Amino acid sequence: MVSRITNMMNRREFLKGSVTAGLYPLYSSCRPAARWESDAYRRPKNSRVAILQARGYDFSLKETILKGLDLFRLDVRGKTVVLKPNLVEFDPNGVINTHPAVVAAAIESFRSLGARQVIVAEGPGHRRDNEYLLTASGLYVVLKEHGASYVDLNYDDVRPIKLRSSFTNLGQLYLPETLLKADLLVSMPKLKTHHWAGVTLSLKNMFGVIPGSIYGWPKNVLHWAGIHGSIVDINAALKVPQFSILDGIIGMEGNGPLQGEARHTGVLVFGTDLVAVDATATRLMKVEPRKIKYLSEAGEFLGNIAYEKIEQIGEKLEAFEQDFRVLESFHYLKDLVG
Amino acid sequence: MIDAVVRLLLDQQNSDGGWGAVKGKASNTESTAFAVMALESTQRKDLPGRVQLGLNWLARHQNADGSWRLNDVTPGGSWSTAPAMLCLGSFSGQRSRAVKAAEWALIQEGNSLGWLGSLIMWFTAQKDINRINMDLKGWPWASGSFSWVEPTSYFLIGLKRLRPALAGTNVNERIRQAELMIYDRVCEEGGWNYGNSKVYGEALWPYPDITALALIALQDRPHMEANQKSLKMLEKSLRETNSGLALSWAIICFQLYGRGVAEWRRLLAERFEKAGFLGETKTLALAVLASTDTPQWFRV
Repeated sequence: MVSRITNMMNRREFLKGSVTAGLYPLYSSCRPAARWESDAYRRPKNSRVAILQARGYDFSLKETILKGLDLFRLDVRGKTVVLKPNLVEFDPNGVINTHPAVVAAAIESFRSLGARQVIVAEGPGHRRDNEYLLTASGLYVVLKEHGASYVDLNYDDVRPIKLRSSFTNLGQLYLPETLLKADLLVSMPKLKTHHWAGVTLSLKNMFGVIPGSIYGWPKNVLHWAGIHGSIVDINAALKVPQFSILDGIIGMEGNGPLQGEARHTGVLVFGTDLVAVDATATRLMKVEPRKIKYLSEAGEFLGNIAYEKIEQIGEKLEAFEQDFRVLESFHYLKDLVG
Repeated sequence: MIDAVVRLLLDQQNSDGGWGAVKGKASNTESTAFAVMALESTQRKDLPGRVQLGLNWLARHQNADGSWRLNDVTPGGSWSTAPAMLCLGSFSGQRSRAVKAAEWALIQEGNSLGWLGSLIMWFTAQKDINRINMDLKGWPWASGSFSWVEPTSYFLIGLKRLRPALAGTNVNERIRQAELMIYDRVCEEGGWNYGNSKVYGEALWPYPDITALALIALQDRPHMEANQKSLKMLEKSLRETNSGLALSWAIICFQLYGRGVAEWRRLLAERFEKAGFLGETKTLALAVLASTDTPQWFRV
């Protein structure tokens, strides 16, 4: 612990952060032009996102997921696909995690499209007790029935990756080999509000790929480094091709990501640009994506958040919008810009 | 169950003598320390060679300052120094390594906000978010972050066991402060989770594995109200939600508090039948430790 694994936030930086939060608009206007290496990233000119109706978890989800994958012409033949659901904690009365039925349908779908291997991987952020989380959540049964392997990313073999973005002062991240070796990484988040970050979707879901054995539970190093900056730096470090299948059948509003209330939205959201998927999902909750700091920053170089830059190739967004309740401290997110 | 679990543990030992989190993963300090404790506790005559290979792995991975790195890839001292310290402290020939680790641990501490940070917290809405006292220092998972219940509990057990060898150090003050920190984090109805009992006014729930571990760290204060409340909570939560990890820690804990464990051992065997503890080295090792009648590795 004395020799620092990363350059983490110290007290002075915390205080500096507190002060700059109030001066953020001024800071934004005079900060250095870029906090990423421009030759390392190419933001797509336009993005496509598909919202598909899925009324419940007992309907034919495989059919819907196959339709979603077909819209993006994903070629996964002979490839290793890693599914990263949101499995952070379990509450028998809550809707915290990506529903196991969605994970099951995704395993079946990718296999039927010819994937060589489909791995389910997660590094739960709160609980270290995988056996409990997997069995209680129902995911264990899915894995067993489908003969799918599960990798605990908290304890996977790791490799240091030098960051080419600097939204934190982490400098490098240890990332799991299972992800680095994947041909396709599929973020499978739940549609939820989040009491620190505003919303938690495809990008925030990637907090779970950071190994707890190195960064602790609840990934506390990242909170000290800044939650928004960490989300951006983690996603910028993941150079493997990505896709998102977002579980918005039943989402969570209020005090998410653990203690909020269920909200039926009845959709799955798909896309190759995770930033555009998250911007769309944020709009589904009637929250303004440009006001989510990490989304706004990711929208500068990783993907698109502007409404006019995202082509909706499934259902119309407006048909499924729901006015998700947010905590009082996030009421400003409800002033929609566009 | 034990023979099958030990067979799995032996099968999972890597060629470098250490153990990874599951079969096929690179060796790490935490898994190796628990596996060594487990195999040693069986007192089987055919295992000393395997135990020695594990001890050699631990010896090779101790840093010059007494700490342990987590694995071959991540440099520098880590929280996994605590399980290694717990393990080696009970081998007479390795005790000096454990004492060196303890001396390293005594100069590590979690971050606190300090007076200015606390002042800012007090005058902003931040004070309403968490209920915890962030100035109390235990041990963090990683340098530069807060103290959390699990690493603090590991270090507490290790330091309490090695206290006689640490005369003239600040060991008593660190133990006192760490105990205060753990008690500060107790959940409303007893028990502990990773280290936060309330967020935005809503109570968070305890985890049985962490509750048992914290109770083990506080075993020398059995009559404290928080201990008694947490023991009840642990029994209740195990009936609702159990796992190999939670049951193993709980059995070790109940033994140290003089409680019966027959029912929990039966449940542990059932869990092994159901999911094989997912093949996780640490759980397999703890299950072996929970099956011995003298929890020597954790008694303070």
